[in-house]
Amino acid sequence: MMQKFAPLTKLLLTLFITLWSIMLQSMTALGLLIAGQLLLLVASQVRATVYKGIASLLLFAALLAGIQLALSGDTTLAITTALKMTAMTLVFFILLATTRMQDLSIALVSQCRVPHEYAFMLTAALRFIPDFLNESKAIQEAQACRGYRSQGNPLKRLTAYAAILKPLVLKAVSRSETMALSLELRGFANRRMSSFRSRVVLTARDYAAVMVMTGLSVFILNFC
Amino acid sequence: MLECCSVDFSYKAQTQAIQQVSLTIHAGEFLAIAGRNGSGKTTLTRLLMALRKPTSGDILLHGTSTKPYSPADMAHHIGYVFQNPDRQIFRDTVFSEVSYGPEQLGYSPEQIQAYTQEALAVTGLSALAGAYPSTLSRGQKQRLAIASALAMQPALLILDEPTSGQDAQECQKLLALLNKLHAQGKTILLITHDMEILAHHAQRVIVMDHGRKGFDGSPAELFQHEDLAAWGLSAPSAFTISRSVAAFGIRQTCLMEPLIRELSQKLRRKP
Repeated sequence: MMQKFAPLTKLLLTLFITLWSIMLQSMTALGLLIAGQLLLLVASQVRATVYKGIASLLLFAALLAGIQLALSGDTTLAITTALKMTAMTLVFFILLATTRMQDLSIALVSQCRVPHEYAFMLTAALRFIPDFLNESKAIQEAQACRGYRSQGNPLKRLTAYAAILKPLVLKAVSRSETMALSLELRGFANRRMSSFRSRVVLTARDYAAVMVMTGLSVFILNFC
Repeated sequence: MLECCSVDFSYKAQTQAIQQVSLTIHAGEFLAIAGRNGSGKTTLTRLLMALRKPTSGDILLHGTSTKPYSPADMAHHIGYVFQNPDRQIFRDTVFSEVSYGPEQLGYSPEQIQAYTQEALAVTGLSALAGAYPSTLSRGQKQRLAIASALAMQPALLILDEPTSGQDAQECQKLLALLNKLHAQGKTILLITHDMEILAHHAQRVIVMDHGRKGFDGSPAELFQHEDLAAWGLSAPSAFTISRSVAAFGIRQTCLMEPLIRELSQKLRRKP
């Protein structure tokens, strides 16, 4: 479902939901906002791995609520903070799970007027997260074959983790150098003549969605 | 020393990466695993190293199931050399990089010093002991990865396509090193696509075919097998040439040197 909308609409949705999460104070309203986002995800038929990420997010939110409760002793504040954090983060799952990175980059450059270099940096960073995780897994396996174990107290584990972190950083740096060279060789700096293959124009559906979001914002501002 | 008993493994429920593989690796063997890309070669060795656990069946090390073992436990017995040595290099000098394994396995400082020096000497890296590992050539890095595995004193060495991306000279050096280690009593298991290497060095070949063990025998038997092409393999040049000139009394061989010798003798005898 969300795949049918233009990247700019989804960027605006991200912005609106972030604002609503800040504005809304009631647990019921925040709960409804989260439920609505989950419904959007289900309707968009995203991959199962997205739900794994959401499960981790919920776990983190619960942990956050626990810490808040322990520090302030205010149950309402703890739950509201956790719900706000979940609502704000969940929308990024919708954006990233339903938008192609190159389309997002095009929307940022051509519609949001973000400088191409910055837009590329953002989308490249997001694009390489799964690769980075895979590389981290491969390095962990390579070091496990040399006796690496993630055991003991947190300090011991942190020290041992250097065996994973150092090759990972070295590989990432080397990869970024190769990528930068490869991009230069393929005319990355040639901005004056560049064009995009994909089109990310807004349709009637997108304009309708923007109107609904604006209307909801006015409603929240006046009544919540 | 290592035995696979009807091992099955799948990464996802639908795809069976390894199916009913049974094999025994004997101490002192020089064994090669060949097959198409995605046929299950690397997955099989990962199972042997306990990086993955069989979904059914068992892997036995000296008769004991490896199911409860972690890769770190297996490192006492098996040295695993990955295709890409950059994935493991992280210390400031070659010496300290090699000593990481023995340190993790809890050897005494004297043992760590001795095993590291020994591994560097065997792999021809003693002169580079103080060098920064990232400055080494690809071949030297591969030998560093082998030294890192050897320093843990394993009886079996598994190497995943160690010659890929190396020049001919480094390749020869590496194969000479493997032969030396084999002569010293190490069991060698090599994953390779290179049929010349297989013909020259392996005593026994296992061919993986769609996750199953397609063949288990000598290189000479493999090159005569009718399914060779179906497994995505081809006989080495020496074998093909010797077979086509068999009518002139040339013996069939997988190796180039004896073929050239025999051909020169035949040609010299001709008026």
